[in-house]
Amino acid sequence: MPMIPYPFDYYQPATVGEAVALFVDLDARGKQPLYFSGGTEIITLGRINEVYTEAVIDVKRIPDCREIGRRSGAFVWGAALTLSEIHDARLFPLLGETGAGVADRTSRNKITLGGNVCGRFIYKEAVLPLLLTDSPLRIAGPGGERTAPIGQLFDRTLRLGRGELLVQAMTDVRYAAFPYVTDKRRKGSAIDYPLLTVAAIRAEEGIRLAFSGVCAFPFRSTEMELILNRREVPAEERIATAIARLPAPILNDIKGSALYREYVLKVTLGETLERLEKGVAIG
Amino acid sequence: MPKKESYDKVTGAGHYTGDAVEARIHHARMKISPYAHARILGIDATAARTAPGVRAILTGDDCGVLTGEEIRDRPIIAKDRVRHYGEVVAVAVADTEVQAKQAADLIKVRYDPLPVVLSPTDALRSDAPVLHERLGEYEKGEGVVSVPGTNVASVIHVRLGDMSQGWEQSETVVENAVAFKPSDHAAMETRSAIAEIKPDGRVHIVSSTQAPFAVKQYLGKYFGVDVGFVTVEAPLVGGAYGGKAAIQPELIAFLASRAIGGRPVKVLYTREEDMVTAPGHIGLEATVRLGSTKEGKIKAAHLIYRFDGGAYDDKSSDIARAAAGDCSGPYAIEHMHGECLTIYTNHPYPSAFRGYGHAELTFAVERAIDALAEELQMDPWALRMKNIVVPGDIAPTRDLLTPSNLGDLPACMERMKRLAEWDDWNLVQVDDHRVRAKGISCFWKNSSIDPNASSGAIVSFNPDGSLNLETGVVEIGTGTKTVLAQILAERMRMRTERIHVRFTVDTGISPEHWKTVASRGTFMAGRAVLHAADDAIRQLLSIAACVLRADPDDLELDCEKVFVRADPSVQIDVKEICYGYSFPNGNTIGGQIIGRGTYTQRRMNPMNPETGEGTPGPEWNVGAQAVEVELDTRDCSYRILKAVSVNDAGRVMNRMGALGQIKGAIAMGLSFANRETFLFDAEGRIQNPTLRDYSVFRYGENPAYVVDFVERPCLDGPYGARALGEHGLIGMPAALASALSRAAGVRLNRLPLFPERIWRARMGYADDTVSV
Repeated sequence: MPMIPYPFDYYQPATVGEAVALFVDLDARGKQPLYFSGGTEIITLGRINEVYTEAVIDVKRIPDCREIGRRSGAFVWGAALTLSEIHDARLFPLLGETGAGVADRTSRNKITLGGNVCGRFIYKEAVLPLLLTDSPLRIAGPGGERTAPIGQLFDRTLRLGRGELLVQAMTDVRYAAFPYVTDKRRKGSAIDYPLLTVAAIRAEEGIRLAFSGVCAFPFRSTEMELILNRREVPAEERIATAIARLPAPILNDIKGSALYREYVLKVTLGETLERLEKGVAIG
Repeated sequence: MPKKESYDKVTGAGHYTGDAVEARIHHARMKISPYAHARILGIDATAARTAPGVRAILTGDDCGVLTGEEIRDRPIIAKDRVRHYGEVVAVAVADTEVQAKQAADLIKVRYDPLPVVLSPTDALRSDAPVLHERLGEYEKGEGVVSVPGTNVASVIHVRLGDMSQGWEQSETVVENAVAFKPSDHAAMETRSAIAEIKPDGRVHIVSSTQAPFAVKQYLGKYFGVDVGFVTVEAPLVGGAYGGKAAIQPELIAFLASRAIGGRPVKVLYTREEDMVTAPGHIGLEATVRLGSTKEGKIKAAHLIYRFDGGAYDDKSSDIARAAAGDCSGPYAIEHMHGECLTIYTNHPYPSAFRGYGHAELTFAVERAIDALAEELQMDPWALRMKNIVVPGDIAPTRDLLTPSNLGDLPACMERMKRLAEWDDWNLVQVDDHRVRAKGISCFWKNSSIDPNASSGAIVSFNPDGSLNLETGVVEIGTGTKTVLAQILAERMRMRTERIHVRFTVDTGISPEHWKTVASRGTFMAGRAVLHAADDAIRQLLSIAACVLRADPDDLELDCEKVFVRADPSVQIDVKEICYGYSFPNGNTIGGQIIGRGTYTQRRMNPMNPETGEGTPGPEWNVGAQAVEVELDTRDCSYRILKAVSVNDAGRVMNRMGALGQIKGAIAMGLSFANRETFLFDAEGRIQNPTLRDYSVFRYGENPAYVVDFVERPCLDGPYGARALGEHGLIGMPAALASALSRAAGVRLNRLPLFPERIWRARMGYADDTVSV
């Protein structure tokens, strides 16, 4: 029944270069083009007129966007890989499992890594492992290609220029050996947007943490990490101090009030620290 | 015996109303209100009217008819004012679905928001805006007592005994209040209807309805069409739960067709429209005050039910009436007073919902019983056993309860106690943060339907001796048509596989079955089928008597043969006589045998709205239920581990079907109790009108289901069968709340039981955020 009430053209380029060139051309012709990956967001928001486009550029046939594997000491994640594919490949459980918390399996068979990270919804949970590992992102655009660590590119959203396309993410393989926690709390159902999601790894220098659903955007906060890693301070105190340094107000919406979210964040952080400080890897 | 429709359903061959694709069908799309209460200042449809493919744009000015089954208070398209979020304000009719949607999007409506009324309590305040100033003038059904000038759509009182005596005899008194907001049915199939008006004035409707005969009747009434000129077809319906007994899409489709010269028009609701425009599940605020002796014998009960009737009455005052009739719950209380009010609010209006007021009243009563048990420091099971109804007691309607008209609740309670392992009913600490707890409930439900509601069946033979069974029961997923075939097979002493049923009901040819609601399909159509079978048998024996030269009284029917009882060698195959009998020379007597039967419930009469006296339904069916949960006492998240339901089925007709009905209803009851609600902002706008944000129970979230049956026959039911379709749901919200209250150590009286709500109750925080 999803019916999109406006006509749009569909393009299926074979290379990154073609895709970007198409974008530039369509954009110049006022087609308001969109890169199209899993399509779940364009379809579901398109049918209620919250997304409008006259041309979509499907990137799923571009080999670079579909690459999965190891290259030069890094996992390569094509942006058009589905969350199910990444999960089932079992290369990097932190990414696979965090992604597997999104929506339901049927939707994850469509939802892609790139779509989840670049989409309009505020949760973008698949970005959390990339933030924790500061994975480099390969981005192509009208001005050519660039690669930079996600830490330099992601601030509340992925900062892409007009016509830029996320092609790949690369994650250093050594992160796969680190203890991690990925913990999604929901309002009450097994499948829902997060009340909050905490993803964490224990790296050499200490525990790193990234969050979704706590504020109106996903984030990793080195400031909070510094506080939370002061192991000489009792955990409860560290958590309270860290929460006081959140980068934005706590979300207060239909999934949960800020009051409750803050409480659940405390509980979840307490458990996360306890698990990682013990050194046990828990999914 | 697998359900006869399953093959079509699992292969996708099943055909639903919305599946119809036909070049000549036009399409209607609705424009709905983004406000809960507002004056419509103007509608600009200029751009929409000139958009490609557009045939008509309809507004409230195009039809002044007011509709409603109990109170005629609802315009089909809002005129001058909207009273709920999602109300229809305009309809675009175009050649294609896309064009209709594009046109609807182009319609510009200007609103002037008005103050909103968002709960029964608010609606009763003296300074509350009155939502229906013309309430006094509206046409009303029998027994609907409104209070014009207020938001009270209906009031009904139920009185037994003498309250002052009751309180005098009470040594302990508890009062408990419960509340929940409106929610949705969330049936898989969204509503759809196709209407066509033929040149001679005949109206043909196809609809995802569970009440095709009511659609026919009301359409005739609203638009002055002779009822014989209206035919309504109901194909398979993809889940209804009471929601598709309401008449709404048919009216939109009819107006749309009328606007374009009678050509066929289809309206297919989006999920959002199905949730907020179409009627949903009723909300309630209730207070129950119980007085009892120290030993736990309840002496007095004052029960106040304030149903959230939403913007329009439709069936809500009748739901309130059904709840009023059974308002005490399954307890024999000598002195009681029930007050059932239906209150207008700026919420979407309700229709029937599986249980028809009973999960709602049961939640109120059972939470109060638990509070009383706590107060008396009694085992809640034992307190219930002391007070539950048994034959010889009097119902709130003053009907005498008998072993036939009342299910065996003590037996259900005993069996439930064993299956729930209730002997260990106290809290169990699992680890530092997790506790396990159980909760129980019991319930009754009478099926109160119109006193003259009838059901019919036609049985016709095929030349091979197999049978066609035609009834007016809509197949809404309950498997009733299969059970009816079993009933027919049993009476005809043949195999059910040899009985063919038709899934589409067509009011032009199908015998009337009032509405496929109230768990009456098996009961009423079953009795009609037995009559039809007997009629067919009589005809078979009569012709066989002629051929076999024997008295019909000496003949028996079995295995598709008619034979002489005392000498079975004298016999003839049914297939030789079911189309008449042809003698060797070609002479033929008789023709195709067609049996017919109808059934109407005996001695029904409506309740007196001042006293509650009456006989609104024929039998009280009962059950006992339990839930076990494991709660994390920190964030109050929990798992539902086990759900037990023991129902008196009278007689189980189709074991797998009965289990499926009960388990499905348990899931629905738990889903309602644990997560389903519309979330309203302060202006009454629904914040979760999509399945993205309106969560329903999914496979895998279900607890272990433990279902068992007691079988004390109802003498009126076919082969003793009692109603089952709704009864797995009714006690679930109360049992879940009971278990969670025990686990959380705080009385939980609001639904749904979101972890945040439990946490707030434990912490003493207000229960007033948009998230709950």
